[in-house]
Amino acid sequence: MKRMDKVGIVGFNQVKLYSDANYGRYEMIFETVRGALDSAGLKKNDITTAISCTNDYYDGRTISNCYTVEVGGGYMVDESKVEMDGAHAVLYGLMRILSGNHKLALVWGGSMPSCFPYHAARLYETDPTWERPVAYVNDITAAGFQMRAYQEKYGVSTKDIAKIAAKNRKNASKNPLTLQEAQNANITVNDVLDSEIYADPVTELMVAQPCDGVAALLLAPEKQALKITDNPVWITGVGYNQETYYLGDRDLTKSTSMELAGKMAFDAAGIKDSKKEIDLAELFEAYAHEEVIFSEALGLVDMGEGTSLNSEIDGDMPINPSGGAIGGNPPCATGIIRIIEAVKQLRGEADGYQVKGAKKAITSGQIGMCAQNNIVYVLEGGN
Amino acid sequence: MPGSWYLSNYKYKYNITHLQPFLQKLKEKKLVGLECSGCNTVYYPPRFVCGKCLVKPNRWVDIRETGRVSTFAIAYLKDPDTGEIQEKPMVLVHHDGADTASIAQLNPEVDFKDTYIGMPIKAHWVENPVGGLMDIDYYDLIKDDFKDLDLFED
Amino acid sequence: MGRQVAIVSAGFSEHASKRSDVNIVELVSEAVKDCLKNAPSVSFEDIDAFATGNMPGFEGANLPELWMTDWVGARNKPLMRVTTGGTTGGSVGIAGYYTVAAGLPGIDTVLAIAFEQQSQGDTSVGLANVAYGEVALLNHLGLTYDQVGRLLSAGAAIGVAAYQATNYMRKTKITEVDLARVVVQNRRNAAKTWWAHLKMPNLTVEQVLDTPYISFPLRYGMVCPASDGACAVLFTTEEKAKDMCDIPAYVNGVASVAHETAILGYAASGSAQIDPSEQLGAMKTSEICYHQAGISFPGKEIDYAEVYSPFPNQELMWVEKLGLFEETTAPEMYKNGVTALNGELPICCSGGVNSTNAIGASALERPAVAALQIMGKASNQVPKTVHTAIGHGWGGSLNLCTMMVMSDEPQRKPQRKLR
Repeated sequence: MKRMDKVGIVGFNQVKLYSDANYGRYEMIFETVRGALDSAGLKKNDITTAISCTNDYYDGRTISNCYTVEVGGGYMVDESKVEMDGAHAVLYGLMRILSGNHKLALVWGGSMPSCFPYHAARLYETDPTWERPVAYVNDITAAGFQMRAYQEKYGVSTKDIAKIAAKNRKNASKNPLTLQEAQNANITVNDVLDSEIYADPVTELMVAQPCDGVAALLLAPEKQALKITDNPVWITGVGYNQETYYLGDRDLTKSTSMELAGKMAFDAAGIKDSKKEIDLAELFEAYAHEEVIFSEALGLVDMGEGTSLNSEIDGDMPINPSGGAIGGNPPCATGIIRIIEAVKQLRGEADGYQVKGAKKAITSGQIGMCAQNNIVYVLEGGN
Repeated sequence: MPGSWYLSNYKYKYNITHLQPFLQKLKEKKLVGLECSGCNTVYYPPRFVCGKCLVKPNRWVDIRETGRVSTFAIAYLKDPDTGEIQEKPMVLVHHDGADTASIAQLNPEVDFKDTYIGMPIKAHWVENPVGGLMDIDYYDLIKDDFKDLDLFED
Repeated sequence: MGRQVAIVSAGFSEHASKRSDVNIVELVSEAVKDCLKNAPSVSFEDIDAFATGNMPGFEGANLPELWMTDWVGARNKPLMRVTTGGTTGGSVGIAGYYTVAAGLPGIDTVLAIAFEQQSQGDTSVGLANVAYGEVALLNHLGLTYDQVGRLLSAGAAIGVAAYQATNYMRKTKITEVDLARVVVQNRRNAAKTWWAHLKMPNLTVEQVLDTPYISFPLRYGMVCPASDGACAVLFTTEEKAKDMCDIPAYVNGVASVAHETAILGYAASGSAQIDPSEQLGAMKTSEICYHQAGISFPGKEIDYAEVYSPFPNQELMWVEKLGLFEETTAPEMYKNGVTALNGELPICCSGGVNSTNAIGASALERPAVAALQIMGKASNQVPKTVHTAIGHGWGGSLNLCTMMVMSDEPQRKPQRKLR
């Protein structure tokens, strides 16, 4: 299989996540983008292309991304806008670099769900004819279906899945940028089980809480990346895939699209055995059980054994050492934040939750009910 | 199948600290604009970020009350109560000293059919400005000085 | 790195003001089927990835490409969504180009799909919502509802076009008759295009001028319709293109640049574009595209153009701004037949956006028709051979211009091997 040319991540920035930020989205976007440029020592005129990622329904306005072009560094720049997860916007930026037409891509994404109830907006992704009249269908109930299906097939108890949520919240407490409400160093599994039930068996603390936040990244081709920074992190593989839409047509106990996306990314990066070659994974898990299903689909653990994996920071396969999406899920920015956290790990800059000796990492992003569309990146560290 | 897209539950957040000095000056019947020290563009009404330089403009400058019409259009609106078609002129005005055009309306007694691009106008304040965008009620026409000059037509 | 990309096929669905016989996904599958019908050697297994887009606010469905998965053959395949408001179609085409040009392993053939079914939602609500947040802020700062009402009516795309028209008409000293002439040419061309919406083979200038004003200086007869429709375009690599069609349309330049917002800047600021017909964004877009495509004299080297003009004054403005004619000479060109079907530089022979406007799809239909003209398979094919053509898109609130330059000869030089 042909290998992919590598693309360097030369700068990044992310704002601290708040559940109700007291400043507006233009300020947040400007702060993030300006910070990303400053961290790389670049200026506005160096940007040759800019990709943004927002969603009309989460922002409450049509063409929500049209007024953000100026603050997002896209003024008089060849720019475009993606409307999926931030990780897909990074994909588009990557494609523009690989085409040879551009030398520096700025990618940013984020939104402010404190302006509108996020889970209610998810209702609009459902089929208007068959699913929407059943008023309670949204992403949480769909997650409930998936969690129960997985539990029944492999005989896994809710307690085992609650352990994942607890681990992520403990990790989040070591990461200063995560949501204040998600950080809990002393959380126990029973706290997770006893929290409010959203859609049985999914409880409140298993859900990644939507919050306000924006994140940005800078991408450059190999030659330029080595000139811009001494410590670029390389994207050596990417894979994305979308499975079928109706929940009834899918096998909810596994994630077919994550498997295929992972295969595409591993082939491009030349990885034969993900269990042995990958040092850590930053997965976008909107619900605690998704982390289990994704790690199985990516080959990090055998099928059905997901809950027996030691995914602590010092474990066999660290997953989400930064707290993952459970540490804070700003819609459209979470995918970018996962990449940023992996970059920090590979550069040795993740103070307090560093995985020792990290050289290769994978990150994921998702969009759609029960992660219908998944995207996977393979990143390799430094020199 | 019926359905609706609820608009009333959204809560928009905007930061208007950069507008506060501008609104203050409106109360004193003075106009100010915000200039970007990177490219010397004067924004009126003040803008949060200068797109060309990606920095916050930080210099306040004086804007004159006079200006010119940069463009105009006439909207034909149907009155919801009476059903008759009304003509409502809209203009974009370019104040002297600013580099932006802002939307406004002309003196309602003026016959807007005589509007032309480049027509000089002057702001007409309300009696008691409160520090809001309606403090400029409308724009008056002022005398165009070039009309009496003899210029050859080719 | 980077590969030459070619368009090998394009397909359309029937456009009408109300396609109540299909829902969104069925409408899109019509366009996909038409596209594959025009490339008989390609089947669903040959498509490696997808790029889709539309304006989500109009149908009340968020992320409809998730729903479309099975209807377009995207099950278990890579798919990316792009939306940029009115120019969504153009951006989808550009995304399709980049997906192939990037050379990701295993992705050689990409289907780009753009659509809109405006009859499903309320267009005016969707359009008014663009500035909803800004208007709420203006309200807070003291603007009354009466003023706000005028802003919304003269602030949507029709208002923007009216401002452009006033400035343009002053520059060129034209009258409404010139605008009506453009409309007549477009609608008569649309009558020969099978998928167009407003087909008027016998339209005259007097009929156009006999309608009331909607926003001076534009009349009802000059305005584009609101259509339901979809468009699909197939992109692939240079090597595979030769097997899929006789004359592939090689994509040599793409760009999408925006200048200032049209009237209402964000957070209550005005627009720094004093003359709305100035359009620096369009000029920069065309500069980037021509540079990539190696075109130095667009007026001489381009044989066919599809520009995005829902209103006739825009067609006159774009052909000048995109470098096809000298400034202020466009109305003369239309009068003298230079832009007609058998003229030296035919423009919008499919009827353009003036005759068919499904907002999400129309900016993709422009490069699609231009590509079909190069391939020789367009519905209203021009008599002369088309070697180089452009397809252009424009967005209302932000003056974002997308552009794609295509030719029957590839421009990208093969990469040298490093070993």
